[in-house]
Amino acid sequence: MAEDLKLRELMREYQSGRFDAFDEIYALIAPALRRFLLAHARDGAKADDLVQETFLQIHRARHTYDPSYPLMPWAMAIARHVWLMDRRTLSRRPWAPDDVTAMELPVRGDAASLADRDEVRRALGQVAPARRHAVIQHHLLGFSFKEIAERAGIAETAAKLRSSRGIAQLRALLKGGAK
Amino acid sequence: MTMMPADLRARLETDYQPVRVLRSPLSRGVRVIPIALVALFAAPIAFNVRPDASHLGWSGVWGLSLIQSVLGLAVVVAALRESVPGRGWSPSAIALWLAIPIAMVIGITLFSWNASPVLLRSEWWLIGGVCFAGSAATALPVVALAAILASRAYPTRPAIAGLLLGLGAGLIADAGWRIFCHFSEPSHVLSAHLAAVVVSAVIGSLASVSLVSRRRGEL
Repeated sequence: MAEDLKLRELMREYQSGRFDAFDEIYALIAPALRRFLLAHARDGAKADDLVQETFLQIHRARHTYDPSYPLMPWAMAIARHVWLMDRRTLSRRPWAPDDVTAMELPVRGDAASLADRDEVRRALGQVAPARRHAVIQHHLLGFSFKEIAERAGIAETAAKLRSSRGIAQLRALLKGGAK
Repeated sequence: MTMMPADLRARLETDYQPVRVLRSPLSRGVRVIPIALVALFAAPIAFNVRPDASHLGWSGVWGLSLIQSVLGLAVVVAALRESVPGRGWSPSAIALWLAIPIAMVIGITLFSWNASPVLLRSEWWLIGGVCFAGSAATALPVVALAAILASRAYPTRPAIAGLLLGLGAGLIADAGWRIFCHFSEPSHVLSAHLAAVVVSAVIGSLASVSLVSRRRGEL
């Protein structure tokens, strides 16, 4: 109860111009928001990202908070929204295509000297499909191993193994091609 | 003690300025009243009052329409409340906000039909089309204003907020249109008039989603 009143007062101060009040708000509510987001995301790193995004959205929506109501339900509603938006974004991201020949491969400048895009694409096409998908999803599309594992219905360690074996196979193929 | 990450703090600080707290949903809903009055009186002023007004009496024509308008305004206020984080309605409350207005339109239709049965004998599609288009078009300015008001908050479920505000706007517009419409036959009212209310709700939902995604893109 006392904490609730303190939070309301801090948020009122934040709305009216005391930026430092947000440090105290963060200290008081971040652990609860993290617990909530961790329960949904089930990934510590992801939960930390979502906590940051939630505070960004709390800042942007600060004018909508009415200090005559408790702060936590308002903050939790924003956290839930952030999690749902993240889930929606994730579901719209491209998944690894089967046809790697049509993919745009971001070969870095230094990598270009080792093998050109066509060679990489051709070699990637020869990597075993499960390993290839793990390599593309992690190294090109930026999915975490946990996300890859969830989508493929495998353990996280298996996803890591597929990716590392895929990279090893790719290296071997590229070396073989260069000879 | 949990400390705010330095990069987040720096990011917020560059964007920080004091804000004016959003008014309550009720006081924001009051801003819709002038345009709601225009929507209510537009059809009777432009086209006259229904010919069977003497049968229905003042309360049967104006009284019921005023009650329907007030309910429409209440639904708009409910939508404005829905657009504030943490103040969203529960699924059962949303179902009630959707069901009560529809039940009211049906009730008023049956009352009018019992008090003064006027059949639509010919060109039902043409007259139905006029009532549908007129009622839906009259609702649009109310939908637009209410959607702007809702998007100024932070609707976490813009489709639901929009559905409610569109429904409210549709009720207000239909309340005015029924004062003018010559026919009380339920098949006409429940198809053309109620369809306009439903379409207004759908437009409200689409407009709200579009406005909110645009505003989020600006942030």
